[in-house]
Amino acid sequence: MVKLKYILFFFVIAGLGLLAARHFSQSEEKRVRKQFDLLSEYVSKDSDENAIALANKMQKLGSLFGDTCKLQVAVELLSGTYTREEIASYAARARARFQKVSLGFHDLEVAFPEDGHAKVTLTARLTGQTRAGEQMRETRELECLLKKSENEWLFTHIAVIEVLRK
Amino acid sequence: MEPTYRNGGMNFCWKLRYLFSKPERHDVVAVRFAGNRVMLLKRVVALEGEEIEFRDGKLLVDGKEVPEPYVVHPCNWNLPPRRVERGSVYVVGDNRSMPLEQHYFGQTTVKRIIGVPIW
Repeated sequence: MVKLKYILFFFVIAGLGLLAARHFSQSEEKRVRKQFDLLSEYVSKDSDENAIALANKMQKLGSLFGDTCKLQVAVELLSGTYTREEIASYAARARARFQKVSLGFHDLEVAFPEDGHAKVTLTARLTGQTRAGEQMRETRELECLLKKSENEWLFTHIAVIEVLRK
Repeated sequence: MEPTYRNGGMNFCWKLRYLFSKPERHDVVAVRFAGNRVMLLKRVVALEGEEIEFRDGKLLVDGKEVPEPYVVHPCNWNLPPRRVERGSVYVVGDNRSMPLEQHYFGQTTVKRIIGVPIW
């Protein structure tokens, strides 16, 4: 009878441990996903955005990235390692070309290859209208790496997956 | 893929087509472009190990011209020769009326091919 009590106790503890691990992993995944929501919010822009809102958004955008972030895109000129200030500055210049722009992330698949690191594969969709009136609509698959630093998930690597290579 | 398939149209995909076989030249295939929802319909024009080239709009594989009866709008594309890597195929759309730079085509891995359109 005593033995059975210990076995039951063991299963209860193991079950609680599994539940805690699941809860922890889910909450971490939510926090990683939240970073993408914020990135989308800061990059997107309405036609009536003023200079203060722009400066505020760009400052917040920079805070989503690690000290440096490696960008890997098909255009070699843009690929490289940038500081968060450079990324914010580049994003501000790119946004200035648009009257309005919207960046959305879909089909996020989040994995944690090692402690404190997250790897996310997703579809990014950029739609917008340039100041010249040209409509833009681009869809790409991205692979992003985020690193947990001081309890914040920060982007450290963003790669555009090249599906078709001429 | 116009005029073979209408741009933005809806098609059903036969995902088991390449379960026991590999894509062949001139097959129209669905390529997974982003996530599990964004697909491109393209035509396989060259297989792994082959050398592909466009010269004055004509498709050349291993230096020999390949007839393409499905291409309605002629083009003047020029693309230097390149070899298709192992585990990959070279896909191009049928609509060649646009400049080469604006057309989505190129080498893709066979793993990215999810099937063929049913009709």
